[in-house]
Amino acid sequence: MKRERPQSFNTVPMKERLTIPRQDMPEQDATLRSANFLEVNLGLTPEQAVIEAQRCIECKNPTCMEGCPVNIKIPDFIQLICNEDFIGAAKKIKEDNSLPAICGRVCPQETQCEEICVMGKRFEPVAIGRLERFVADYAMQHGNGSEEIFGKPKSTGQKVAIVGSGPAGLAVASDLIKEGHAVTVFEALHEFGGVLVYGIPEFRLPKAILREEVATLETMGVKFVKNFIVGRTMTIQELMADEGYDAVFLGLGAGLPRFMNIPGENLNGVYSANEFLTRSNLMRGYEFPEWDTPLYRAKHAIIVGGGNTAMDAVRTSKRLGADEASIVYRRSEEEMPARNEEIHHAKEEGVKFMNLVNPIEFIGDDQGSVIAAKCLRMELGEPDESGRRRPVPMEGSEFIMDVDMVVIAVGNGSNPLISQTTPEIETNKWGNIVADEDGRTSMDGVFAGGDIVSGGATVILAMGAGRKSAIAINDYLKAKVRSSA
Amino acid sequence: MSLKDQVKSMDMSGIVEMCINQEQQAIDLYTLARDQAKDESARQKFQELVDMETVHKVSLGNFEIENYIELPPANLKVTDYLMEPELKDNMTTQEILILAAKREDKTARMYQDLADHFHFDKELNTFFQMMADEELRHKHDLETEYENEFLQEG
Repeated sequence: MKRERPQSFNTVPMKERLTIPRQDMPEQDATLRSANFLEVNLGLTPEQAVIEAQRCIECKNPTCMEGCPVNIKIPDFIQLICNEDFIGAAKKIKEDNSLPAICGRVCPQETQCEEICVMGKRFEPVAIGRLERFVADYAMQHGNGSEEIFGKPKSTGQKVAIVGSGPAGLAVASDLIKEGHAVTVFEALHEFGGVLVYGIPEFRLPKAILREEVATLETMGVKFVKNFIVGRTMTIQELMADEGYDAVFLGLGAGLPRFMNIPGENLNGVYSANEFLTRSNLMRGYEFPEWDTPLYRAKHAIIVGGGNTAMDAVRTSKRLGADEASIVYRRSEEEMPARNEEIHHAKEEGVKFMNLVNPIEFIGDDQGSVIAAKCLRMELGEPDESGRRRPVPMEGSEFIMDVDMVVIAVGNGSNPLISQTTPEIETNKWGNIVADEDGRTSMDGVFAGGDIVSGGATVILAMGAGRKSAIAINDYLKAKVRSSA
Repeated sequence: MSLKDQVKSMDMSGIVEMCINQEQQAIDLYTLARDQAKDESARQKFQELVDMETVHKVSLGNFEIENYIELPPANLKVTDYLMEPELKDNMTTQEILILAAKREDKTARMYQDLADHFHFDKELNTFFQMMADEELRHKHDLETEYENEFLQEG
């Protein structure tokens, strides 16, 4: 179906738009910020946002929307920014994305909407992510929540349980509450947000932003229950049979840390990224001693891995006072899965990068604490299926370096609790829940999406999966009403 | 009697039979592990290994040395430095992959040793080289799977 073009409010002549430079986001000074947990990026000013929006050349066939997993109407909200209607722009985004302040901060726009922005073919792409963040923050600061945007729908009398309050669960909650269902989100931890709260540090995603987004959903009618472990506190069968939930969505994420299986991983001072970041983020170790969660101040911390989690961990260790904090990655920087922005920020903050290096053993002292890492140097071989060149150990290249803290950030798996307590739900050999593209599982009325299905991915992909499931759940509930009539 | 001495006293069909028995031992081990595994994902993974070894066993029965094309696979060495897990009923898929890759590696070394030892006998040398390459190919596939799933570094 052909999409109607939004009304244009861009008064800048087309040729001039090409000459406007992409607007840089102001950020905290690198030296200052490497010793605090305040947000690194400070956001565009209203003037900058309008100038950046004016760079959009209003393509007849805008490709940017195709790059967004939740299909935000990007050209439409950009035109509203040109008209300085920032609240209108926020409303437009919220039609498709219930968490714009979060996505504007943590989405990898450079590999999604911005990667295929037509401007980017010859010039720098329009900074769509920065604009999204700007309008979301503006709307938040000006008290315009989603409840005003969508109003109160008529109740259907049907109940939906959402297991997990991460990005997939929040996206489902947002879409289903608008349909008039009674939605309850069950969270195992004592704060809502899943990986957004335990995984992403304050300096990249302030907790206040997340709480604000959750509060908006609460205002819209979503009920949130914390400290509730589905599979332990209550099973899925009990939720449906005893508590009367008509459908369940499983958005548990991939919270099971993976280790390398090398000698010495059980020494004191060797953490999984999951534990290290949870201690700092969720348990507020970064505010010690005000918050009673001690975290070791390292002389030399090494973080094994090259993704965003590794960058979050290494930058956290630096802020916690490590004299030296290094990334140890077995491929080269070119193959790193972390966002370029995160790598850039880490380097600015003094993080050392040891690429083409792989630990093969951690060595401890007589107290059982890690004191050194034995490593191998690697060289790149032929590309693998993903196109990344495969690292191969170099014979005789072993070396030992002094370290007193290690964080393993090589990926996460899915928690086996649901598969163990609900055998009706099919899982694959990796332990992920098997679901079709709309999130239907092998158990009637139970849907799943996000990392628990796909394995570790991005926030926005989890939200995209959540939104698809929300449509399928809504259809399922309507069919249930029809069949009982 | 050492393995090399045993081989010396066998004809070609006896040697093939010995290798088929080797594959059968692996099939028996993985079948037992599959049946004892507590977790469905582990059962699936062990079944895949049973299938892989069965294909190899069947292909050995139809073996013709003239059809062998020398194509040694790359040794990725992804699991070489990892700790070998014990076979138990609550193994994770990660542990199963490490265990299987290390078994393939050991068997490949055994065949490579025999190939090197019988360098003067073209038929034996080619046969054992083919067997070593095949085991390394299995290791390569298992390590590729391991790398794709457990070394995402995300």
